[in-house]
Amino acid sequence: MRRHLMILEFALSCLCRRKYKNLALLFAFSLLVFILSSILLLTYALKKEAIEILQGAPEITVQRTVAGRHELIPVEYINKIKTIPGVGKVEPRYWGYYYDPFIGANYTLLGANRDMLRKIEILEGKSFFSEQKGVCIVGKGVAKAYFAEVGDRITIIGADGISYTFKIAGIFKTASDILTNDLIILSNDDIKRLFQIPTGFATDIVVEVYNPEEIETVAEKIKKLFPSTRPITREEILRTYESLFDWRSGMILTMFIAAVVAFVILAWDKATGLSAEERREIGILKAIGWESSDIMELKFWEGFVLSSLSFFTGLIGGYMHVFFFGAPLLSTALKGWSVVFPTLKLTPYVSAYQILVLLFLTVVPYMASTIVPSWKAAMTEPDQVMRG
Amino acid sequence: MKYKVFIGIFIVELLLLIGILLFSYISINTRIDEMKYLRQLCQGLTATDLAIWTEARYTRHPSQTDIFSAFQDCPSCLEHFPAGSVLSPPPHFRRPLEAVK
Amino acid sequence: MTVVLENVTKVYNPGQPNEVWAVKGISLRINKNEAVVLKGPSGSGKTSLLSLIGCMSRPTSGRILISGRDVAKLPERSLTEIRRRTFGFVFQQFNLLKGITVRENIMLPLYPTGLSLTEIKARAEKVMESMRLSKRADFNVEHLSGGEQQRVAIARALINDPEIILADEPTAHLDTKLSEEFLRIIEEIKRSGKTVIIATHDPLVYDSSVVDRVIELRDGMIKETQ
Repeated sequence: MRRHLMILEFALSCLCRRKYKNLALLFAFSLLVFILSSILLLTYALKKEAIEILQGAPEITVQRTVAGRHELIPVEYINKIKTIPGVGKVEPRYWGYYYDPFIGANYTLLGANRDMLRKIEILEGKSFFSEQKGVCIVGKGVAKAYFAEVGDRITIIGADGISYTFKIAGIFKTASDILTNDLIILSNDDIKRLFQIPTGFATDIVVEVYNPEEIETVAEKIKKLFPSTRPITREEILRTYESLFDWRSGMILTMFIAAVVAFVILAWDKATGLSAEERREIGILKAIGWESSDIMELKFWEGFVLSSLSFFTGLIGGYMHVFFFGAPLLSTALKGWSVVFPTLKLTPYVSAYQILVLLFLTVVPYMASTIVPSWKAAMTEPDQVMRG
Repeated sequence: MKYKVFIGIFIVELLLLIGILLFSYISINTRIDEMKYLRQLCQGLTATDLAIWTEARYTRHPSQTDIFSAFQDCPSCLEHFPAGSVLSPPPHFRRPLEAVK
Repeated sequence: MTVVLENVTKVYNPGQPNEVWAVKGISLRINKNEAVVLKGPSGSGKTSLLSLIGCMSRPTSGRILISGRDVAKLPERSLTEIRRRTFGFVFQQFNLLKGITVRENIMLPLYPTGLSLTEIKARAEKVMESMRLSKRADFNVEHLSGGEQQRVAIARALINDPEIILADEPTAHLDTKLSEEFLRIIEEIKRSGKTVIIATHDPLVYDSSVVDRVIELRDGMIKETQ
């Protein structure tokens, strides 16, 4: 044990010999781990968050397509879908987008679903939503964009060119930003009037299925009944989000691929070219009674000190960056340029898998590149050092 | 005694890391109720997507069928799914003509 | 501790175009507390012989007995062990590690031995004192003069209290005054009961009264013993 500590002691002396070079290396290494861990932690947390929340998404959303594009769906489909065994509530949804050219932001207008909304507390100040004409509930992002408070009025220009005003009856809690930030909830009648949706049609239909095992079968049956529809199952939504965040993290990782490659080149350069000076020093150590294994241990410690400190520093930094400071360095790449972006309060999910990936991308190549070449050198006979 | 300094720093960083993991563990548990609430809200709203990419209508609901067209809101930006480009287009491109007037 | 060589040969790069017969069938015996000089021009096999005696390389054929033990067949681990316990080396180029202090250079052989840092430091302090290096302890070796560097090299060779000191061309980089000082140190070492083997072609060394025996080498063979 003491022997290992002594070799560690000497490894630290060796690192101090090239203080500035090693400090620079420590900095670069930490930065790389910091960037990679920020990306991995952020996308993983977003993915987990999305998947957790969207467990509450409707089991099946039925949309009608014409020539591959979304079309309004006849409400009469509901009655037929209801007859499929295992199906619970089937309800029409009325929703759409509204682009406010003066603010330059997009909002989502959604017709309130009476039954469901009544069940939960949604509002800051006010506890339950009662459906009324001329009244709306808005998300925090919308309220901020209009500088509006509860009781103020907002104006929306309808499809008929007429301006409609709605009184803000409530604003969603900040905690629900990730779902409600850009929402404007109106009564179904108001939405229909605003968008001039013809009677007997809805934007789409949501279907409740009691048994999660049957969702797929029900979706198939709906598709058979109405071939022009596209039933979207909850499973598909979850899958979409999963691949979406993978895609997103891949996209950001691509931006930093050059940094990773540079790091690998550095490691490779170290691994293949042991300088004559280093080779001579290994020879000296062997000649004065160090074993090959001692020299490898020395090199191991040198690599370990640098990479463990960098890894910890980078990982801790990345974590704080993402979960305490809201990932300011990555947010542009993630957010896009949306005007109403939710204040993300992410649950700090961390998985062992991520830490392993990070280790394999950084520490492992670095350690290998310090140990492998000295192993080659340590195998040579010590009398090399006496000749030339 | 350089090794004592190193082991000291190493232990401090390790404790910090463990502290962070502990913090994660606690936060995940304290947010269980909040997550449950969000799930219920999601159910109540029949929401199918998160309100993260709100910059354009074709990025708002990635899981839904729609009339996707990239140049609808901003004729000058090259788009990639699922969010707008990394940099925001210049402000005068972001509003349709009638708004500029 | 006696060193016995029996018909030892050493071939570098055997079977290749650059094959070199460095040592051709040398037999000799070096007794305890003897000061022996291996003399000869460069390329005569002095250094090769020295590294064979010092267990830094293995003979191609023949036997090397150290205290009656044939070291040629020992595994690398035991060879290192013998090297560490029995021999102290003083190299021609001193072979000190740049960038670290005199003290750390001297402590170098003791790091992997399992001694505590305090003990290693105490030992280094002792050796430095005997080599008059205490004032230089915290200097980096590259800031030292040639003579001081050699004293560091000798101190490093002495720290593990070896029974045999091997020196390869120790005076090659020293002027007459420093060479004489070196011989004085050798005399002290010899007086403490250690065996000294020096490879050199410096007359100052092999004509010195310290030396008990001079073995002259030429083309890898013993030419003459005085």
